[in-house]
Amino acid sequence: MAEMKVVAPKKRFSKTRRGLLIGAGVIGGSLAIGTTLAWRRVANGQQFMLPADAAKGETSFNAWLKIAPDSTITVAVPRQDMGQGIYTMLAMLVAEELDADWSKVAVVQAPIGAVYGNITALADGAPAALRSVMVTVSKVLGLQATGGSTSTRDAWLPMRAAAASARAMLLAATATKWSVPATELTIEKSIIKHAKSGKSAAFGEFAKDAAALAPPSNVTPKPQSEWKLLGTSPKRLDVVEKTTGTAQFGIDVRPEGLLYAAVKHIPFAKGELQDVRWKNGKAPTDVLHQVRGKDWFAVIATSFWSASKALEAVTLIGGGKDATVLSSAEITARYNDILSGKNEGVIHGTKPIRRAFASKGDAKKIIATVPASQRIEAAYSVPLLAHATMEPMNATARIKDGKVDVWGGTQAPTIVQWLAASAANVDSENVTVHTPYLGGGFGRRFDMEPVRQALACAKVTGGKPVQVIWSREEDVKHDAYRPAVSCKFTATLNEAGAIGAWHHQMVGPSVTKDVIGRFNPLLAGDDPPDKTNCEGAAGVPYESAIAHFQLDHAQVDLPVPIGYWRSVGHSFNAFFVESFVDEIAFAMKKDPYLLRLELLKKEPRFIKVLDAAASAAQWSQPLAPSVAGGKVGRGIAIAESFKSIVAQVVDVEIIDKQIKVRRVVSAVDCGFALHPDNVKAQISSAAIYGLTAALKGKITLKDGQVEQGNFNDYPLMSLAECPQFETVIVNSGEALGGIGEVGLPPVAPALANAIFAATGKRLRDLPFVLG
Amino acid sequence: MAITLSINEKQTTFNAPDDKPLLWALREDANLVGTKFGCGIALCGACTVHVDGVPIRSCVTPISSVAGKNVTTIEGITAKASGGLNAVQQAWIEHQVPQCGYCQSGFVMAATALIEKNAAPTDKDIDEAISNLCRCGTYPAMRAAIKRAAVIHAALKQGAK
Repeated sequence: MAEMKVVAPKKRFSKTRRGLLIGAGVIGGSLAIGTTLAWRRVANGQQFMLPADAAKGETSFNAWLKIAPDSTITVAVPRQDMGQGIYTMLAMLVAEELDADWSKVAVVQAPIGAVYGNITALADGAPAALRSVMVTVSKVLGLQATGGSTSTRDAWLPMRAAAASARAMLLAATATKWSVPATELTIEKSIIKHAKSGKSAAFGEFAKDAAALAPPSNVTPKPQSEWKLLGTSPKRLDVVEKTTGTAQFGIDVRPEGLLYAAVKHIPFAKGELQDVRWKNGKAPTDVLHQVRGKDWFAVIATSFWSASKALEAVTLIGGGKDATVLSSAEITARYNDILSGKNEGVIHGTKPIRRAFASKGDAKKIIATVPASQRIEAAYSVPLLAHATMEPMNATARIKDGKVDVWGGTQAPTIVQWLAASAANVDSENVTVHTPYLGGGFGRRFDMEPVRQALACAKVTGGKPVQVIWSREEDVKHDAYRPAVSCKFTATLNEAGAIGAWHHQMVGPSVTKDVIGRFNPLLAGDDPPDKTNCEGAAGVPYESAIAHFQLDHAQVDLPVPIGYWRSVGHSFNAFFVESFVDEIAFAMKKDPYLLRLELLKKEPRFIKVLDAAASAAQWSQPLAPSVAGGKVGRGIAIAESFKSIVAQVVDVEIIDKQIKVRRVVSAVDCGFALHPDNVKAQISSAAIYGLTAALKGKITLKDGQVEQGNFNDYPLMSLAECPQFETVIVNSGEALGGIGEVGLPPVAPALANAIFAATGKRLRDLPFVLG
Repeated sequence: MAITLSINEKQTTFNAPDDKPLLWALREDANLVGTKFGCGIALCGACTVHVDGVPIRSCVTPISSVAGKNVTTIEGITAKASGGLNAVQQAWIEHQVPQCGYCQSGFVMAATALIEKNAAPTDKDIDEAISNLCRCGTYPAMRAAIKRAAVIHAALKQGAK
């Protein structure tokens, strides 16, 4: 592993940017990108001090950590824990550098500050006008906040450097106290030791003296060979409170005088509220306030139960230019028109924007020369999907005496701060965003609607806090959905019997455009092209083996809100690509695993992962027969997402058209598994999310209204249906990849391929139904 | 109207409409927020509590229907356990079950009820007894933890004798 060296400015509070260049390496020695930015965050981290409780004797070293007299190290985590274990992971980065006693490491949610996120850093320079801020957001969205499986990669340099800096300061202070060279000191479990004199002291003893020193101008985080904690699986910091019911989620906050609001949206997925009609002409007496929004209506009461009961007596009339009476069948028909070139495929008045996302060689021309009977062709589709976080959407706000407090689980607290400042017309520093645990995120909690609603409600309650809670039905019917996408492939084989040309045509909406449009419609542009449309369809590892590779995309606007959904474009593109590769294998009469090995000849990293999964799953061994007299089959798929590679082998049993997933074997290369148990937990977590989509998930529109509303018609995989999981970790030593989403993309195609192996039926539309 | 019941071994009187679900009485009136709202129609089990030792879905249980009964919530089983963790909770920590954690109170309540009446639940017993939903997919760890909890529970019972 290459050494990472951080050269700091000499003066502690220097505003200069001297010495910003650092020679940075990550695991395996590949050079990290954005090192200047990483250093800037370390430097800022020594100007901005993590707030410390003086009464408790806490000493802050920089933005990232503080130490108490009892040697407890509190780490500031600038990301939200929504189940992925990031509190634990980022604390481990700090604990490793300090050789800390893990049992005395705690975390605190970092306050909103420039040092903790790039969005904020950029927005700081922007004027207060919302538009300018939102331009900034639009430029960086997807990279910032908690999402895109970026948190550990993003923290990797600054947090280790910050801890290494604190370590050097602790050693320097101790060396002075004991009059010994700092180089003779060692640290073991938060105890500083001097072997020659036999002296030892806990961190807490000299923390104050250490923090008073100037930070070192050079710090070198530990090389991998010296790691003790990273690469092991210490217990998560949040598990005890999540097991005893004491973990606080947004819906649990109880500020004094709390009122509750229940919300109802217009029946259409998009549009405007035009009228509110009470059954008896007026609201029940326990309704304290009524609040109207663009497409929603809320009532405020002293209880959520009475507020939601009151809403049962109200009918909302919606309409406007964005409202549609389209149904899913019509949208699918337009998609098919676009793919077949039958007509323009106008949806709700808008025409598709056609672009090529990959264009190598002359695929279309070559295909045109091959008779249709010799082409391999297939069309696939995926439906809209809701996120269905277990914690229904909610937010709590209080506007009082020129100060705003917002409580709630969010994947983008900085944006919450801006919205609150704008809504209450105060400066950002008068806004406090409290971020408890997120009862599931998966992209859902980038949606700011509950926050806007809570702020609107808090304006009418005379300073009393209001908690807005959505019913499950509101959540399912008014989500920002994973887009519905359809595609068509055509491939031809060359004289050598290999894939000669590959043409992939897709149709679907832009997630990013829609997300940005909800912040500010003026910013919802079509340029630059949204790469999430085609992530996992462009840049696939097979491209190195295919001379003529074409990917065309038709971007449409849908009359429903679209959002980031766990693994985003990869969630459907891996299904398309990996199903089609299997179809090619069948056409070639080749084993699907062996064909992939051939295609990946120039991609050794992929081959290693594919082999690891196939070998752990005993790919070539027959499956145990179905005791119920059903059919059995095995399928394989591989996908790269968020800089990690995952291969999965799925074993399936089909009994009377019922699809039972027996086992999922995964192999994952995320560079290096920093917390192997959590890597495995995230792989199975994402795979179960993906299996739910493959077997059950479907949101449909009828006359512009979402038909599903709760777990009866939008079911989730249950414990009884959950397959066995085995996960093999392949530590390649390449740059770190993400882990929270990467177990999802290959699971649906591996299942489709297994179903084909079992039944000979190729299922090309999610969710799978055996007719 | 005033309705009295025992919550975690404490007599508690609610001034609430008869049809107010126990879930919201717990969360809003008793400030016991460990019991969660998930679906409101008894499908997800995030709101599971025990009424006279039997797991029920509190989101569809009118408070009037549990008048005079003994309700135990996640806070109650935690407070009652020696060392602050019952067998299920100990196994949950050992197997590091929770991810986002939101559904876990309901699962702990359902699993606690299961192992109290079934000393060695099989996979089939677990499938039939635990119908709660978890969106993070903590099921693999959970299944192992339930079996482990039964072992811990048996040992605790043995020790108590």
